[in-house]
Amino acid sequence: MSKAQALPASPLKQFWLKWRFHLNILLILIPLGFMPKYFADAAMFRGDSGLGANQQSAIQVGPYTLDLAEMRDEAPRADGPAGYFKLFNAALCKACLKDVKAVYLRIGKPRSLRAAGTIFFGAPYRMATSLPVPPRTKPDAQIWITIEGWDGSMHQAPVALAKASPATVAWLEKQGGKK
Amino acid sequence: MAQSTKTKKSKSKLWFLVHSWLALPIWFFVLIVCFTGMLAVVSQEIVWLANPDVRASKPSDDAQRLSFQQILDAMHKAEPEMAVRRLVQPDGSHFALTANVTNPDGTTPTLYVNPYTGAIQGKVPDFNFEAFTRALHGWWLVPFTNGFSWGWYLVSLLGLPMLASLVTGLVVYKKFWKGFFKPLRTGHGSRIFWGDVHRLAGVWSIWFIAVISITGIWFLIQAILSDNHITISTEPVVPVISREDVPQTADGSPAPRIDLDEAARIATTAIPGLDISFIMMPATSYSHVSMGGRGWYPLMYQTAAVNPYTRTVDSKFLLEDRSTLEFVTESMRPLHTGDFGGLAIKLVWFFFGLVLTLMVLSGLLIWTKRTAQATAAALKRSERAPASRKARVETPVEVQP
Repeated sequence: MSKAQALPASPLKQFWLKWRFHLNILLILIPLGFMPKYFADAAMFRGDSGLGANQQSAIQVGPYTLDLAEMRDEAPRADGPAGYFKLFNAALCKACLKDVKAVYLRIGKPRSLRAAGTIFFGAPYRMATSLPVPPRTKPDAQIWITIEGWDGSMHQAPVALAKASPATVAWLEKQGGKK
Repeated sequence: MAQSTKTKKSKSKLWFLVHSWLALPIWFFVLIVCFTGMLAVVSQEIVWLANPDVRASKPSDDAQRLSFQQILDAMHKAEPEMAVRRLVQPDGSHFALTANVTNPDGTTPTLYVNPYTGAIQGKVPDFNFEAFTRALHGWWLVPFTNGFSWGWYLVSLLGLPMLASLVTGLVVYKKFWKGFFKPLRTGHGSRIFWGDVHRLAGVWSIWFIAVISITGIWFLIQAILSDNHITISTEPVVPVISREDVPQTADGSPAPRIDLDEAARIATTAIPGLDISFIMMPATSYSHVSMGGRGWYPLMYQTAAVNPYTRTVDSKFLLEDRSTLEFVTESMRPLHTGDFGGLAIKLVWFFFGLVLTLMVLSGLLIWTKRTAQATAAALKRSERAPASRKARVETPVEVQP
């Protein structure tokens, strides 16, 4: 072996020599530690753990009802230059499946159907959308659900952001209009 | 002359040292990553062997495969309320189709569907072996919260020492090209034996280690690019169908859409050579029927999006649409996973994955028998006088990680 190994070592080197193989143990502990989270997430993606967090059930939107929930009870996530986004899930009432053409979500009241916000994707039993959350949003803001019917009708209803996603409101308050 | 031989010798000694120490402090981690990678290659086949639901059993010898729409009809007949979102024919006709569905209770299981009868044979179990081995191998189960998971970085970083191991290994193994048919020496002790195994496995695996380490480094680059929001993709973003093109109905019932077979027919007519192995229902009323499959170059997929109201192919992404750079970068993933040419290639990848796992293990055995002993001896020699007790304490740490 090299001479360097044989020289009387500094305490740091001694420490490294003594403990370096314990790195293996630390590395093996990582997946073990994340395993419960992995299986909980897998169950969530399968829809086995319900619609999501802070579910608002049977929101009346015109003649229809809808359940809304945030996917995770957490602050919006950054997506680079595109800004911050928050995932929401929704489920339509069984009776309105045939009538509804599209469901949209937006912070603040939309002025028209063309500005109704982000569209919900997926089967009506469990749809998802990624809602942009500008950091300057007022914490007392409301999120508006717009339902568009196949006959061209439009129905709207608001939900307080504080109810639908308390973590987002906490995050907005922390931002304090800084961004 | 003598001087140059001496520097050459000390240089190769240095290379040898680098080679010996490359993966060592984290050898168990490297071993598990190699092992889980080897399992992930054949995870689909393991599930096929273990679970009859996954098999595409023929009801009779002359049974014909159903079309996508026939499958959909059969599924709706069995489960009228269930919403089917996607149908996929896995690579290999012995696999059942997989269907991503949403049930009225909001659960979204993946079902196995018989391609000959359309019968729902079962669902992907809660413990998904394929997904689990891939998640363990690919990102060490660390969740993706903001961009790529740091577990992804942890694993893909191993591409660097792996490539360095290959290069230094070839430098220190003199005339390695003569080593392909060297017999293993038994009866000279285990150090000689494992050394021979390591070298023989090494020379036969040169191509494989190069492929795995370079594609592994690509995964690292990919994560860095993505987390810095740099894209090299030329894939078009499929725009939603405009309001004018989605009919309004007077009675408020959903506007009629073409069925899956019609959508597939339109796409294959417009794009000769488009092979369709998966098809997705429109995700909204303003979305397309999208479909795709492998092109003539089996490492890449071609996709098309058909407007279900106007019957036009609104978007396509074919082999010829790719940039040269994309041909290279898009080939990286299949080259790493070996899932581009059916079972034969998977078995080759599995075999060399096993060899690679054994190389990590044999490397460690050699190391404990030689490097560690040499280190321990050197330590003992130098520390005998001042601190003999300490040296003794350290020896077991060296040999027993």
